[in-house]
Amino acid sequence: MNRKLLFVLGPVTGLVMFGAVVLIATFLTNREYKEPYRAPAAIVDATPRAAGLTDEKAAADATNRAKPYVEVEYRAFPVVGSRVAIWAVAQLHLLFAAFVLAVPIFAVLIEAIGYKTGDRRYDRLAHEFTKLLSVSFSLTATFGAALTFMLIILYPKFTNYMMSVFSPTFLPYVGLFFAEAFFLYTYYYGWGKFHPLVHLFLGIGLNVVGTSIMLIANAWLTFMMSPNGISDGGALISTWDAIYNFTWMPINVHRFIANVAFGGSVAAAYAAFKFLHATTDEERAHYDWMGYIGNFVAIIAFLPLPFAGYWLAKEIYAYSQTLGLTMMGGAFSWLFIIQAVLIGNLFLGANYYLWLGMGRVEGARSVQRFIKYLLIAIAVCFMVWATPRSIIATVAEIRAMGGSSHPILGFLGVMSAKNTAVNILILTTFMSFLLYRRTGKTATVSWAKAGHAAQLLIFASAAIIVISLGIYGYFVEASVRIGLSVPQVSSVLFAMVAITTIDVFLFRRPRMTGDVRWGRMPAVSQYVLIFIAVTFTWLMGLMGYVRSGLRQHWHVYGVIRDTSPDAFTPTLGFATQVVSLTVLLFFVLIGFVFWLASLHDLPDYDPVHSPHSPLLAADGHKAERSS
Amino acid sequence: MTVPHSVRIAALVLATTAFYGYVGQLVPQKEVQPPQETVLKADMTTADMVKIGGELMVGKGLCLTCHTIGKSGALRFPDLEGVAARATTRIPGLNEIEYFAKSLYEPDSFIVPGFNPGMPVINKPPIGLTDQEILCVIAFLQTLGGTPTVTLQTSHAYYKAPGATPAAPGGAPGNATPTNATPAKGPVTP
Ligand code: HEC
Ligand code: HEM
Repeated sequence: MNRKLLFVLGPVTGLVMFGAVVLIATFLTNREYKEPYRAPAAIVDATPRAAGLTDEKAAADATNRAKPYVEVEYRAFPVVGSRVAIWAVAQLHLLFAAFVLAVPIFAVLIEAIGYKTGDRRYDRLAHEFTKLLSVSFSLTATFGAALTFMLIILYPKFTNYMMSVFSPTFLPYVGLFFAEAFFLYTYYYGWGKFHPLVHLFLGIGLNVVGTSIMLIANAWLTFMMSPNGISDGGALISTWDAIYNFTWMPINVHRFIANVAFGGSVAAAYAAFKFLHATTDEERAHYDWMGYIGNFVAIIAFLPLPFAGYWLAKEIYAYSQTLGLTMMGGAFSWLFIIQAVLIGNLFLGANYYLWLGMGRVEGARSVQRFIKYLLIAIAVCFMVWATPRSIIATVAEIRAMGGSSHPILGFLGVMSAKNTAVNILILTTFMSFLLYRRTGKTATVSWAKAGHAAQLLIFASAAIIVISLGIYGYFVEASVRIGLSVPQVSSVLFAMVAITTIDVFLFRRPRMTGDVRWGRMPAVSQYVLIFIAVTFTWLMGLMGYVRSGLRQHWHVYGVIRDTSPDAFTPTLGFATQVVSLTVLLFFVLIGFVFWLASLHDLPDYDPVHSPHSPLLAADGHKAERSS
Repeated sequence: MTVPHSVRIAALVLATTAFYGYVGQLVPQKEVQPPQETVLKADMTTADMVKIGGELMVGKGLCLTCHTIGKSGALRFPDLEGVAARATTRIPGLNEIEYFAKSLYEPDSFIVPGFNPGMPVINKPPIGLTDQEILCVIAFLQTLGGTPTVTLQTSHAYYKAPGATPAAPGGAPGNATPTNATPAKGPVTP
């Protein structure tokens, strides 16, 4: 017998034998004696079937008619449950809203630069950014409507309470939304149709309205975290106080900046998407530049974010130490480790992109040799920052460790070390920027040497101040230590401003040693841009979770308790899965937006000359290139 | 064959989100349940109360998110080791039970020297311990450098036990009825 047949026969025999066993087993069980089934006497109904049915119906009608109206507190969402459903929808709404609010901010700025300098490229770039807006705006509105309905359906009692506190804010919100639509569409469709100043005015109007919308929405969600303007029992005393609660302003600021950073990174991802699909060198040059600007916006906005974040944290502590400690020391402390991983990746990605960008410039070697030191600095800071501050532990463990911080890890993990690490990360990224700026240039002013020395001195002293204050922080009282972050931050800010100022004058009329060749970027740089955008989106999702998760078993912290089945705080593993899912959904949708925006550049459909004919396609490209 | 860019982009997006999702699985996984409303039996002994009080301090009371027990150095919140002994000396005229009651019901009325205010009112939301639960916590605090004496029948300035002896039994010397403690302002019971 040959081997092939053996191979087949083996399993076949196995199956046959299995079948036989099943057959025999059923045969045996069927033969066993069983009592025939009889309905127990009690449930046998003697009424004839028809009469029974009418009786039953009448009884049901009677109970229905007598049913009292009861207000429900919650309704359940099928399959995934109410929490996950509302979470995903709210997060998608926020992501699109952030994008729609952010793009006009830098689009108007870029347009204004174009107007000021007369450089048409800027105008075109700004226009290209706004192309992404209109579809995103519709998606924002759709998710907003879905969110509202779901709140009313799934959380009626809580929603009602929010209405009672914030009733005067809802109609203005709708009005502003209308104004937003008006400005957005006139700004977009009116591009190049009005006097530039009129057009710029439309853009500014769009931003004012957009920001006001955000301020109102932030009032609702910050109130849930740090309620104000109400009595102990939750009755409204002053709507204005409810709006102007402890965390309202810090979140307005933190979000505004985070939105710009996020919007910039997503716009850069769009440019990367176009770069990778580009067929001509001009296109590549254009989208390389667009990606660079998008990323520039993202990073510039990203640098002050930690400061805004610490301010927010400080206000949360000021509102309630308990809330602050839940965030930084309690159940959520590990979340900030994940945040540190994300932020470390963002810093690394941003620096890496800049370093790759030096390849655009000829003669960048002299600058590129510094990069390894920057890389080391980033890696060390990252490790310090990602060290857990305190760990959830049992009483016995806490006693054994002498406090809620780990004896060794806790040492690195205390606030002081983190502040220091963040400040150094910021300084490092700033240096990367500076180095990038000066690739291919040599300063020609007479005081060039002194200028460089001064810059280096300022940089070194800022770094030394930051680090020594960080070390000093271990030896002083907590109340003193908290105050130390102020001189740390101000020396970093001072260094950035001073060094930039010197740089501007230093490179007044530089000798160019190499040209910038836009488009001469390896494809991997574009994937880095996309990676940054995904990381940013994920960060938004994670921080959105910490904001609402922080309240734990409260809808409105300390006032309206969550009594639904979802009142517990899920594990971080679960939360990150939900975040990952919403991020993926967001990218599917934004991919659709990108695709729609790039339809614009395709030739119109022509039924006679099908674009699929290779000959004509080549022609089409030629036509595009010459236009 | 080269993979088209759109496929690579999709793969990158997928891989990045999956990676962060994975990082989320690496950290300790803890589900935090909302505090359970435990029913305190009326016939609890002081020893039972100490046990419950210890649990409350870790759990519902959230005390140990701030406080430490047995740690020294630059601290942000007062360490509670030996606090029962110190409690008798904090405010003249208050024994440790009255002092603890004051720290828990009206924390800002007296600030421990060297620290900033920041202790939440324990009988109000979000922590919202009941009067009986607070008695248990006081029993536990008494064990830190003292001997627990409270029972569920103990009254203090903020709580009158139903049909109980007026003053707190036991405690340190010089523990007459508090002179400067404000008698329970308004209804303290929820
Ligand atoms: C949000 C942080 C926080 C929480 C939670 C907290 N405390 Fe405090 N506690 C403080 C601060 C700050 C002080 C010092 C300031 C003061 O005296 O009000 C303090 C002081 C005290 C004192 C006085 C200590 C002394 O040496 O005189 C006691 C006793 C105390 N807390 C007990 C508790 C108990 C019991 C709980 C839990 C039911 C608790 N605390 C929860 C922050 C907190
Ligand atoms: C270090 C750099 C930081 C970055 C890049 C950053 C980024 C972000 C981003 C992108 C958001 C999303 C905004 C949104 O909800 O849509 C956010 C929100 C938030 N961040 Fe940060 N953050 C930083 C630091 C911090 C720090 C240090 C804290 C506090 C300890 C903090 C606390 C919060 C909170 C509570 C929110 C939720 C507020 C909201 O939903 O608007 N952040 N942050």
